[in-house]
Amino acid sequence: MAKLSRRNFLIATGWVAGGVTVLYAMRNRALTVAPTIIFPNSASGITWVQIRPDGKCMMYFSRMEMGQNSNTGLAQIVAEELNINIEDIEGVTPSTSDVPPIAVTAGSMSMTAFSHPTAAAAAMLRETLRARAATKLNKSVDLILDAPGGFTTAENQQLVYADLVDDTPAMIEFDESKPLPALYTFDKTRAKKQVGRATRPLDMQKLITGAPVYAADVPMDGVLYGRAIKPPVRNARIDTLDTSGVEGVKGLIKLVREDEFVGVVCKTPSAVDAAMDQINVTWKLEQPINDDEIAKIIDVDARMAEGDLEHIFEETDHRKDADWHIDLRFDVQNQSHAMQEPRAAIARFNPSTAAHRLEIWTGTQDPWAMKRLAALDTGLDEDEVVVYPQRMGGGFGGREHYEVEMDAVRLARVVKRPVKVQWVRADEFMCSRSRPASAHRIRLAADEKGNLSDWWHGYVTGHIVLARERLPGWLLPLMRLGEDIGTVRGAVTPYAAPHHRVEFSDVDLPIDLGVWRSLNAGPAVFARESAVDELALQLGRDPVDYKIEQMAGNHPRLQACLERVRELAEKRPLPKGKGYGRGYACGIYEHRCNVAASADVFVDEKTQTIKVTHMCCVEDVGLAVNPDQLRAQMESNIAWSVGMALMEKYEIGDDTIQSSNFDNYTIPRMADMPSVDTDIIDQPGLPPAGAGEVALIAGPGAIANAIRQATGYRALSLPISYDDIKTGKKA
Amino acid sequence: MRLKVNGDMRDVAEDWQDENLLVVLREHLGLVGSRFSCGIGQCGACVVHVDGEPVSSCLVPVSDIENKEVLTVESLADADGTLHPLQQAWLDENVPQCGYCQSGQLMQALSLLQRNPNPNDADIDTAMSGHLCRCGTYDRIRKAIKRAALTMQEAS
Repeated sequence: MAKLSRRNFLIATGWVAGGVTVLYAMRNRALTVAPTIIFPNSASGITWVQIRPDGKCMMYFSRMEMGQNSNTGLAQIVAEELNINIEDIEGVTPSTSDVPPIAVTAGSMSMTAFSHPTAAAAAMLRETLRARAATKLNKSVDLILDAPGGFTTAENQQLVYADLVDDTPAMIEFDESKPLPALYTFDKTRAKKQVGRATRPLDMQKLITGAPVYAADVPMDGVLYGRAIKPPVRNARIDTLDTSGVEGVKGLIKLVREDEFVGVVCKTPSAVDAAMDQINVTWKLEQPINDDEIAKIIDVDARMAEGDLEHIFEETDHRKDADWHIDLRFDVQNQSHAMQEPRAAIARFNPSTAAHRLEIWTGTQDPWAMKRLAALDTGLDEDEVVVYPQRMGGGFGGREHYEVEMDAVRLARVVKRPVKVQWVRADEFMCSRSRPASAHRIRLAADEKGNLSDWWHGYVTGHIVLARERLPGWLLPLMRLGEDIGTVRGAVTPYAAPHHRVEFSDVDLPIDLGVWRSLNAGPAVFARESAVDELALQLGRDPVDYKIEQMAGNHPRLQACLERVRELAEKRPLPKGKGYGRGYACGIYEHRCNVAASADVFVDEKTQTIKVTHMCCVEDVGLAVNPDQLRAQMESNIAWSVGMALMEKYEIGDDTIQSSNFDNYTIPRMADMPSVDTDIIDQPGLPPAGAGEVALIAGPGAIANAIRQATGYRALSLPISYDDIKTGKKA
Repeated sequence: MRLKVNGDMRDVAEDWQDENLLVVLREHLGLVGSRFSCGIGQCGACVVHVDGEPVSSCLVPVSDIENKEVLTVESLADADGTLHPLQQAWLDENVPQCGYCQSGQLMQALSLLQRNPNPNDADIDTAMSGHLCRCGTYDRIRKAIKRAALTMQEAS
């Protein structure tokens, strides 16, 4: 790919049959082993928009789709810039051979990092076409006016885009040294037609008609079925292995063993199940796997007693010996992604005459990493491998690694036939790189007027972005000299205190860890919002009023969210009587995304249950490109908040992962889902920020604070059960 | 062995007769709208109708289905592409996010409306309790079912 000039590259991939294409220069090459981190925001990155000879707009979707629908938002931006309807855009998810590498889809970065380059690309395309119109009409460019799907003039000389492109391919290359054309998307004075419209996501029709969209749906002639054994942790080694029963399984094609990799290929899925049942393996662990071990490692109090934690994140005139009003320990559980689609991949090896020796169909957040890693795994050149990304049935941070793809590739290589690997639910839980458990010590003091004087938040959590087995062993110690961007997320407090310290240690845990929706921000903000709520109650203050005061005017957008969510919540009176309570929480995610949530709960003595009956959520994440999808993300995060606060716990013990299916890892069902009211504070003058994981920082705290109002019980440990309330469980 | 699926008689080749219904639908007959998720009947992603009753197709040996009538999500829309009122309501409420569970949700919702043309929230929560949606589209599903109920009542 790199050998081709960009123009030839475009033609070779069949993308350009003519028309005009915008191409952002891609100046960095990705590391083979690390996640793909090429963002198109400044010197590096790409985005593609094209007007074809028939005048039709096509765009390559730069984001991997898992329900967040950011490509729809980006298409709205293109439509706004080109004065067309989003319905007139044809979107194509590129294979890894169609375009140079694009950054991993993660961290709610899609709108933040891609909206501006996408708008710029489309605007450059528009202005190039405007110049052509001017030439064609023999007029100066400033007399060429925008019109739907093209241009017009004061004399009503209409030109549509199809009139301005022909069969000769043309390409505009982005030049940073030249000023950008006007970007309609970010012009707050402009009455927008596409941006800000509650547009239906582009794939919706396929999802309700059962069309093939996921990796396992891809039709494949002559496909065989396979699976491989999974260790409880990735650094485990096989201790004993007995495969003697496998050979007798009807439908077996091949038992494959390559070092620690043991898998089977069979004619049908049930034969795979039968063959896998005949593999008996025990694992050699480097460290015991149980809750006590984790509790010991993350014991924040023991570590703080020894001195400073590993990273002092923020510090101003810190006092260790203030007169603490609040001195609370919060413990947050391990959690698993539990996306609805267990991962699946299909791999096919081709003869050397084919365009690609190895083809992989998979749903992944990082297709270019899959391509690099499959090349590394097989010894093929990167150019010989292609990944066709498919829709993911949920991602939530859990699908960035070469895992199910590896199973399919290794098995297909041995049997020389295409192999489909469909993980079963137990594989999905076993291989979950879970959100690490964390322990937080929060100490708060107030002055004589009740204002915060001292803030001290110390926490210990597992590594997230720099977790073991996420990066190669040689790279990890170097990377860990810096901060783990996952474990610091959520550490910044919006509340002002003259004496202030936030410190933390990030550590290895005995289980594999990774990126889970909102990373450390969910746990950290739950702890913080609980602690400040408790302080307000101790001081006899209304928690919402108190929080707004303690923001000291520094965070007007967050304050507005909190005020708006209170208005929204108060529209629906809380039932009178024992067991009802309403709580609030708020936070700023990644410095850009402001959120506040309320929760109404009913703690029912009779049924001994905690029910979240209603929640409200308000976000200000800058420009709201697609308000409906912003609301959808809030609703989704509300569901996850209920799971995190009341239900989910990734169970480990006896040196293995105990959670294996939805009967022992419970996630919210319909009856657990509160009704939800949402609102958006739109900021037409601010760039859009992501919303995929924002509300999950506020939801759990709102629920815990509602339980405090309903029962007087301050939850110190997640998930909260009715028994915890009854027994007054501590951290 | 033959199956009646979405009104058509389909042959099941010998190699596939020991599989469960879901595998046969997806891998042998190419009807991939029903999805595999938990394998133990806990999530509802694979729900289809067998003789008019919703069942988890991952739990049913295909050999039990001979001579029975199977309906999958692919049967909901008319041949000309006109959507079933439930599908239209799903669209109007923009229900799906990742989408993986939605075929099963639709088939269960269809069964609910066949039994109870005017369900309230509690009826819906009970009927849909076997269906997981990790994206949390539950509140929109409630709204979509009520919307479809209205449309279907007006039409009848």
